[in-house]
Amino acid sequence: MMELLPQALTDGILLGGIYITIAIAFSLTYGVMHVIDFAVGEWIMFGAFTGYYLNKWTGLDPFLFLPVIFVLYFGVGYVIQPVIHRVLSGTKGNPFLMGLVFTFGLAIMFRGLALTAFGFYSNSIPSAFSEGSFNLEPLGLTVTIPTVRLVGLAYALGITLILHYLLKKTNFGLGVRALAQHKDAAGLMGVNSKRTGSYVYGIYVGISAMTGVLLGCILSIGAQMGNEYTIFAFFVVVLAGMGYLAGVPWAALLLGLVQSIFMIYFNPSHTLLAVFAILYIILLISPRGLFGKGV
Amino acid sequence: MKNRGATILAIIGAALLILPLVVHDTFVLRVLTEGVMWIGLAIAFDVIAGYTGYLNFGHGAFFGIGAYTIGILMMQAHLPFWAALPAGGVAAGIVALIAGIPTLRLKGAYFAIATWALSRAIQQLALNMEMTGGPDGMRLEAFLNPQFFYYLMLITVGATFAILWYLLERAPFGLKLKAIREDEEGAKALGLNPTKLKMQSFILSALPTGILGGIYAYWITFIDPSSTLGDLVSDQAVVMVVFGGMGTLFGPALGAILIFAFKTIFWAYLSDFQLLYLIILGALIAISVIFIPNGLWGTLVKRKAGATRPEQKAEPASEPAALSAVAAPEEGN
Repeated sequence: MMELLPQALTDGILLGGIYITIAIAFSLTYGVMHVIDFAVGEWIMFGAFTGYYLNKWTGLDPFLFLPVIFVLYFGVGYVIQPVIHRVLSGTKGNPFLMGLVFTFGLAIMFRGLALTAFGFYSNSIPSAFSEGSFNLEPLGLTVTIPTVRLVGLAYALGITLILHYLLKKTNFGLGVRALAQHKDAAGLMGVNSKRTGSYVYGIYVGISAMTGVLLGCILSIGAQMGNEYTIFAFFVVVLAGMGYLAGVPWAALLLGLVQSIFMIYFNPSHTLLAVFAILYIILLISPRGLFGKGV
Repeated sequence: MKNRGATILAIIGAALLILPLVVHDTFVLRVLTEGVMWIGLAIAFDVIAGYTGYLNFGHGAFFGIGAYTIGILMMQAHLPFWAALPAGGVAAGIVALIAGIPTLRLKGAYFAIATWALSRAIQQLALNMEMTGGPDGMRLEAFLNPQFFYYLMLITVGATFAILWYLLERAPFGLKLKAIREDEEGAKALGLNPTKLKMQSFILSALPTGILGGIYAYWITFIDPSSTLGDLVSDQAVVMVVFGGMGTLFGPALGAILIFAFKTIFWAYLSDFQLLYLIILGALIAISVIFIPNGLWGTLVKRKAGATRPEQKAEPASEPAALSAVAAPEEGN
């Protein structure tokens, strides 16, 4: 069994790389809106199905659609965010609770819509990269790297760099970081929390949907896939420390490793249990994440 | 006002007690039994969600734990029902304790995530374990006496309601929980121990839920991971409480009655469209949050909360746009 270990580690790192994108966007949204979006898995699922059907209708490679899907879902997120903002800035009841409940309701509704529209079947999106793979032989061990996963990792790195640039080098990013630190003070300094929130939410929904297409090419798609990815997103964000972006890549890689190790060595259906066990231990020992820097 | 409320409550209670003597239709009795059960599940959920302000999106897990505990104890340990029933509640309480230790020290967002993930993990566990029968579920020995289960459910829910009423509305415990909900730091400054109180309220929420799950298992005689541990139980509890009104006992009860009545009618006439029910549940949560954040009870009966709203900036433009956007993903595909 040991000869499979390098393969498991490689698969895990390649898969974990993709989770980075979802988790960074998810963490960013939490930082700006201070509410957790329970619909994260559903956005991934919708993106995956959009890619699947666009591919079916046009016959073009799903990777070509990524920009289209981003723009489409950016728009969707941009128009939905004001409703969440309204819920969060309400004075009746408890706005924070209401925000959580609202996204929870959205997630249920989206799942129902998806099951109605797409049924219970599971598919995968064909791509030109899907078949290809090449072997690496470091230290006499053979490791197979599927091209599609490598492309996925390249995509993830690209998105991460773009987000990094946006956050650290632009005025928009400065506003986002200010909002994450202190919402009211940022507002007084002239940051439009409503519009910035809409942009961030749009970016997050767009990235999640794009990543859904990739996950559809690498793994599989189904109307019920959302649940799993919602848990994965939470796992990464909690492990990294809520709102601590620098920890996200490491937590995402760890998730990829856990998943691939369970796929190869144990029962894949126990992955969720392992994820939960790790989550529990981390929350028990270091509730602010692996690095102790969450909020 | 208070006396009138008590009178109405007494009349409803008396009517529910004598109902099986008048109604002999098994179907009606069955619907009533389940309706009463949902009232119990909704008010138990509201202890931690409405009163304490910590959302438990995995309430169904405790229901399922109760059901499975009783199933396993009765079928594999051959215990009598009455010995197994308290164990269902205790098991749910212990799981609440274990899950609460790391999560209740933290902000509400962690708790909401963790409970939701816990319910998914427990469902996976039930699907993969041999003791639970895996995906095939588990059959209990049948005890076919609709009247017995109706009264058992009614007494359990009635007792739960009375105990919770006393603890939350009459004893200082309820005020302490509300203090945590309104301002946790402030509550701490007043000498309260929020972590301990949250723990107590979480266990208080899980215990009756586990017992109701146990009664349900013995009543329905068949349990499987999707019927008792699926997300529908948790989702419905959330809808009932949010729609009915959080932070009260009557709100969730009202929500439970209305949503359960709707579900029964929907299931009876539109059983081919079960997925539509899921969509309606989700939409109902979202709409309640936007338009009646205090729920039906808070909006219609307890209006005083609305007076604190200083200025209400209407945003007429954002609403229709957002509502059409909610439907957009479906059209987009």
